[in-house]
Amino acid sequence: MKGLIIKDLMCLRKQLVIYLYVVVSALILSVMFVLSAKYGNIALGGQEMMQENGMTYTDIKNLSTWVLGIFLLLPIATVSDAATIFIEDGKAGFSMVSASLPLSVKQRILAKYLTVLTMFGISVATEIVIITVLSVLTDIVSFTQFFGMMFSCASLMSIYSALVIVFCFLYGHGKEDFAIISSVALMVFTAVLCNIRSFKQLFLAQSDTQSVQAFDAFIKFFQQKFYILFFFAILTMAVSYVVSVWIAGRKRGVI
Amino acid sequence: MQNVIELKHVTKEYGDFKLDDVSFSVPEGSVCGFIGQNGAGKTTTIKLLLDVIGMDSGEIYLFGQNIQNNSATLREDIGVVFDEMGFHEFMTGRDINIMMKNIYKNWDENVFFEYLKRFSLPSKKRCGDFSRGMRMKLQIAVALSHHAKLLVMDEPTSGLDPIVRNEMLQIFREFVVEEDHTILLSSHITGDLEKLADEVVFINGGKIILSGNKDEILEKHGLLKCKKQELSSIDASHIVSVQPGTFGVEVLVRDRQACKRQYPDMLIEPVSLEEIMLFYVNREAR
Repeated sequence: MKGLIIKDLMCLRKQLVIYLYVVVSALILSVMFVLSAKYGNIALGGQEMMQENGMTYTDIKNLSTWVLGIFLLLPIATVSDAATIFIEDGKAGFSMVSASLPLSVKQRILAKYLTVLTMFGISVATEIVIITVLSVLTDIVSFTQFFGMMFSCASLMSIYSALVIVFCFLYGHGKEDFAIISSVALMVFTAVLCNIRSFKQLFLAQSDTQSVQAFDAFIKFFQQKFYILFFFAILTMAVSYVVSVWIAGRKRGVI
Repeated sequence: MQNVIELKHVTKEYGDFKLDDVSFSVPEGSVCGFIGQNGAGKTTTIKLLLDVIGMDSGEIYLFGQNIQNNSATLREDIGVVFDEMGFHEFMTGRDINIMMKNIYKNWDENVFFEYLKRFSLPSKKRCGDFSRGMRMKLQIAVALSHHAKLLVMDEPTSGLDPIVRNEMLQIFREFVVEEDHTILLSSHITGDLEKLADEVVFINGGKIILSGNKDEILEKHGLLKCKKQELSSIDASHIVSVQPGTFGVEVLVRDRQACKRQYPDMLIEPVSLEEIMLFYVNREAR
């Protein structure tokens, strides 16, 4: 099984290179951002916004937190493209080779999940380094809050990967794009459904204060309730694995 | 002698194709040629054998063990070669070695690199840049590097030039020198099988139409050449199929010696595997 994980990581070689660039870029940009927010133009801009637009310090802080959140999401998003493995396998016709190996269907599928988790492991480890650096440089967000945000991002992306894998098995080779679209659609639909009130508040807000409050709620959720997303990530991974094994059992020769 | 492969009444139905009640066995230490035209059901049978796809009914035994719930372990002793390479184009011989040594318990990297050297395959070159012959050789190197006891090959020689084909047949011959080594070789190039096989299994339209020892099959069958008018005098039980010939008709007969005794004035020649296949396929088509 280890061999298949190695093969999958080889399929993601290009992605790993891109990941390195993205990590370095994200680190540089976020460091520049926090330094500028402390000493530079962003700090001045923030002050002006408080004086002229009537924004509070918390609003500015939350805005900065969103920006930093996006910087943290970028590297994790780069490594979470499980569809690449399926595309590469499909191009090579690897399914026949894989089926002739001394591995059961369960092991072959587990290898895919372990590859994705390995990639997440790498990205989480790197992000911990980044957030340590950032938390030393800024007081906008503490290490715990950064950690919560990072964990929430990683959990969201692992939910996405788990869905992509199961849809790739369901649709078969050559339909990876549909798997990606289906996963995103399902995630957005579920997120809206679970947070219908917050989304309503966000989009139908009568005043700026209401929409800021809605944003605040999301930030707080990501920072403090990351364990909920983490729990759902584990649950989705487990369900996705069981469903994938079932699909692959019925469609033997597909993987 | 133990049968390494044994299929008993195996059926598999797709929408437009049915593998119907397939039964045959391959004894240990033999080379079995699995012959049939394209679409006859060779690849489907091989996929069933390897448990890549599930059968509808029947039983398959490998090394005397039922493949149900056992196939992954059994595949440890099987080397497989397909008509297409299946490895990712960016992979090099070294990459494949790293992958395989973490999959097969008995993977022997020294043997693998020796084969690469012997086949003149560069270990650092992407296999996507290999020619078809090189790709087949790479697959064979992989199949032979984990001390497999059974080689299952699906059309390994198709599309290769005669020199590379001969080279590969030589490798197969070397493989079966070991007493417990067995080969199942599917092909529609009967010439290769005539050189190599001990046993042959003919499949057509999803049904096994003939199986047994190759020499016995060649020895038994004969090509009787006669005038069209003489055809009615031949006992129908001897006839497999009839085809028009250059000066009359050609008849494939089941028992050459019996026919020679019964019809001493008629010309009865030995027949090749290809001719046997053609006559049987024509019979089925009628």
